[in-house]
Amino acid sequence: MRTAPLGRFAVTATVFALITTGCATGSGNSDSSAVAKAFGSTSAAPSGQLRVMGFGADDEIGSTRLALAKKALPGVTVSLVEGDLDIQAFLSAVAAGDPPELVYANRDQIGTFASRGAVLPLDACISSQGIAVDQIAKPAIAQVTFNKQVYAVPEFNMVQIVMANSDLLGKAGVQLSQLSGQDWPAITSATKKLTASSGGKLSVIGYDSKLPEFLPLWAHSNGADLLSADGRKAQLNDPKVVEALTFANGVYQAQGGFAKVKAYRDAADFFGKENQYATGTLGAMPMEQWYVNVLNEMSPKAPLAFTPFVGKDGKPVAFASGSAWAIPAGSKNAAAACTFIKTMTAVDSWMAAAKARADARAKDKLLFTGLLTGNKTADEKIRSTFVKPSGVKAWDDAVKATYLANDNTFSLPANPADAEFKTAWQDAVNRVLNGQQQPKPALDAAQQQAQAALDKAWAAWDAKK
Amino acid sequence: MTSGLLATSKAVRHSERKSAVSAHDSRAAWLFISPWLIGFAIFTAWPLIYSGYLSLTDYDVINAPNFVGLDNYRQLAADPKIAQSLGNTLYYTVIQVPLHVLVALGLALLLQRAGRASGFFRTAFFLPKMTPPVAIGIMLLLLFNGQSGVINGVLGWFGFQGPSWTTDPNWVKPGLILMSLWTVGSSVIIVLAALREVPDHLHDAAKIDGANSWQRLVRITIPMIGGTLFFLLIVNTIASFQTFTEAYTAYFGSGNTTYSNDAALFYAIYLFQQGFEYLHMGYASAMAWVLFAIIMAVTVVQLVLSKKFVFYLGGHR
Amino acid sequence: MTAVEGTPPAASTPLVAPVAEPLPSSPATPAAGAKAAQGRQRRRPVASWLGVTLRWLALLAFSLLFVYPFLWLVSASFKPRSEVFDNRLIPRTFTFDNYLQVWREAPLGVWMLNTVIVTVLAALTVTISSAMVAWGFAYFQFRGRKALFGLVVATMMLPGAVTLIPTFLIWKSLGMVGTLTPLWAGNLFGSAFYIFLLRQFFLGLPRELFEAAKIDGANNWTIFVRLALPLCKPAIILTLLFEFQAAWTDLMRALVYLRDSSDFTVPRGLKALLDRYGFGGEWHWEIVVTASVITTVPMIVLFFLGQRHFVGGIAGTGTKG
Repeated sequence: MRTAPLGRFAVTATVFALITTGCATGSGNSDSSAVAKAFGSTSAAPSGQLRVMGFGADDEIGSTRLALAKKALPGVTVSLVEGDLDIQAFLSAVAAGDPPELVYANRDQIGTFASRGAVLPLDACISSQGIAVDQIAKPAIAQVTFNKQVYAVPEFNMVQIVMANSDLLGKAGVQLSQLSGQDWPAITSATKKLTASSGGKLSVIGYDSKLPEFLPLWAHSNGADLLSADGRKAQLNDPKVVEALTFANGVYQAQGGFAKVKAYRDAADFFGKENQYATGTLGAMPMEQWYVNVLNEMSPKAPLAFTPFVGKDGKPVAFASGSAWAIPAGSKNAAAACTFIKTMTAVDSWMAAAKARADARAKDKLLFTGLLTGNKTADEKIRSTFVKPSGVKAWDDAVKATYLANDNTFSLPANPADAEFKTAWQDAVNRVLNGQQQPKPALDAAQQQAQAALDKAWAAWDAKK
Repeated sequence: MTSGLLATSKAVRHSERKSAVSAHDSRAAWLFISPWLIGFAIFTAWPLIYSGYLSLTDYDVINAPNFVGLDNYRQLAADPKIAQSLGNTLYYTVIQVPLHVLVALGLALLLQRAGRASGFFRTAFFLPKMTPPVAIGIMLLLLFNGQSGVINGVLGWFGFQGPSWTTDPNWVKPGLILMSLWTVGSSVIIVLAALREVPDHLHDAAKIDGANSWQRLVRITIPMIGGTLFFLLIVNTIASFQTFTEAYTAYFGSGNTTYSNDAALFYAIYLFQQGFEYLHMGYASAMAWVLFAIIMAVTVVQLVLSKKFVFYLGGHR
Repeated sequence: MTAVEGTPPAASTPLVAPVAEPLPSSPATPAAGAKAAQGRQRRRPVASWLGVTLRWLALLAFSLLFVYPFLWLVSASFKPRSEVFDNRLIPRTFTFDNYLQVWREAPLGVWMLNTVIVTVLAALTVTISSAMVAWGFAYFQFRGRKALFGLVVATMMLPGAVTLIPTFLIWKSLGMVGTLTPLWAGNLFGSAFYIFLLRQFFLGLPRELFEAAKIDGANNWTIFVRLALPLCKPAIILTLLFEFQAAWTDLMRALVYLRDSSDFTVPRGLKALLDRYGFGGEWHWEIVVTASVITTVPMIVLFFLGQRHFVGGIAGTGTKG
């Protein structure tokens, strides 16, 4: 196993190279009229095969919609390639001229695929089949828009809200509003009050600022984004980003350093009955909304309190992420793929899926906390139809905060070097957390690295045009 | 150290000279080795040449490779992460490999005298090799946890304050090295098999002469199995230059973890990032070639430092 | 090929170095050792009793260390979801549900069958071909033999990255991508590690035997199949077992070559399960853990049954006693 990745690398590299030098696969430069024709909606009933890579219909949300999509494509054999999207497997299939007909990826991967010509622009698909992209949240669309063309149809939204242990807050005399994210000095001082340790070991984490992953959130709430809106300029050493990192890292410093907090948090039973809230070992943290479901299922009696995450300007804010459907270059059944996408993301399908979920939750005597589909129309309809007040303030607050966050999201734009860009800033944050570097020099280095990667990738794209 | 091996090669030489096979058998010989010859041509020689070509191109996976001459190698020489990852890899190799061989030898010596129960113990020592690495990776993070891990718990009994194995840059590599010793199983079995070949009468003779067990180990056992130990050293050096799985699972994760640690960035991990996360296949090919050159150089040095291995593998001269 | 490609060399490098024909008197060491030891006290029974106890204690302690991961897995597979990570070896709540659920949701039977096909073929082909090549190098004299054998050894030093490059393309051009063939057929050409291992064993066999057979009119093939192979049984079993283990756990080639879940091998299927239930999925670790246990157990049984043959057998190759 140890040498395997090298081996994998070599195999795929060669395949890519040999195939792309040899036969043309029509990738990247498909002329638009041909594409439009391929997506042609109703003239002939689609038939043949539809292999979907990266999607698993594991829960009722997935399986309900999949059944509907299959029904919409009666003559088509739909098959799922199991497991998360493996970039190697996907790209090797595209390069070998044998791609799946449809691919399901993280939204932040789309820019890289698009810039390499691995997925097709979907403008023709959207217009010919009338996919209602205007219903989809703008930040989600921005994540899959590369060079002004939409390359994928987004679905799902993950947003952050603040989750707290009300007992600990009460004992420490801390108000939940102090931890909303608006007032940074208040968070730091509340953290010191909430944190507890015994015998040199941490026993309560006061506040977890969730670095490295939430740096974009802290930076945005301070008025700066890590990447310019056109996806070309890294802004990692912007003074406001440096300030955000200094603050979020300072929260860990106030509790004895990141190493202690991480070790303690890693040891917690995050998905179990003895999670940090149930055991009273965490004061508060910003966290994605799906965790509400875990808490509701595993520790319904824990003393919980929820509130929206708020930026320095006093407005609720959340960093959105999610999945997206795209059609690979060389897809042999683009029309069927387009119909499939349309069905999966249609409001009616979401409603059916939400009903299945709400029924399942009711059967297990659990709360239905809503569903963020990425489609605003569907979100509203689901909320008004299926989300009922629970009678418990905490859960109702959680649902309210979730929907508020969902209405106030931002995202980073699609860019051709997303993996390198991410590695650059995450490495910088980690060096700071590990005590190897100060925020400013760490982010300066990251800025240089990220910009070099972006410049190179954009130059390659610009040259291709 | 050399005597055992000399004995081996002498013996081989002896038996071969005595019965040299006549020349017309050479056709049969070529037939016997033909499977390997074919495999070598297809699966080794050609790939070598091709990846060499790729290393001279700029290649983003989907579009055709674009010839850029030695650019990748120039870029590589100036890349600080190359130096850093090579440094990490060397540190790991220098400490892990001798430890690995020593532990394998120690466990094999213990096993050798386990008598009837040895079947159980052999299976026990081999068990981590058979357990899916992902499962082991997750569990090890729990064991090495700085606050609540079993390892630091045990250290605590003896009054030591254990380090933050999983976050402190100074302790990440030692932690990984300890983890890697878990999969020492196949080396144990190899050493064990070699130990079984040490003739009993040598030990008996030494016993009669009053040698204690430590003396017998150093003067008889180790020289007699020197060839095997040396081979383990070489093979594990090659493997540890390519070390990947443990560090990748623990610190670079399956996309869900954003925490990483520079101290665990090994060469193979950086190569993987370049090739598959950043899609710089040409650059990654160049990295693979540099790694090949380094391994070759290190192996040659090891061989030169220990002429005995040359004897050993040459069989006869 | 598996030894080079799929696993760390250490895993599949059965480099036993059997002493070909130990010459009882040739090493100077025993005498020297004995001399150095002269005048020292002989061990007393008490010391030896203490030594035995210590040795057993050490064995038990170490085996606990090595068995722990698997015990942890087995124990976790009997826990409900909320207790998987509670780090107790004895489950608070004992449940059999995970096994039932895995059996329902994953086509483990199909995956196992595929894996058995691949592993058996991989182990058989690599053993036969490596034995042939090893015999070619061990028994015959021919021009270029030394250089060629040097080349065999050199291929062990190639990183997988370099040795593996166009394999995929070869299989692709043969139309074999998406089938199980690429997972084992490379083994038809032998593997350097096993060639090296088996050659050492062949060199250790008494040559007179083969000369006699030749005089009796046996041809080269008969000598190899009827004489050399049976005499080398322990080494053959060792090769079979090591390759079996390597092929059983080979994820890399399965990832690259297999597409449909009905073609998956166990490691590939486990990865799909992990994506679905573990990282990025619903965090049903109990499912992943249970599937790991189910798929590891056959390997353990096989190893337990096989190990006595290869280690015990090696001792019996005629060099001892």
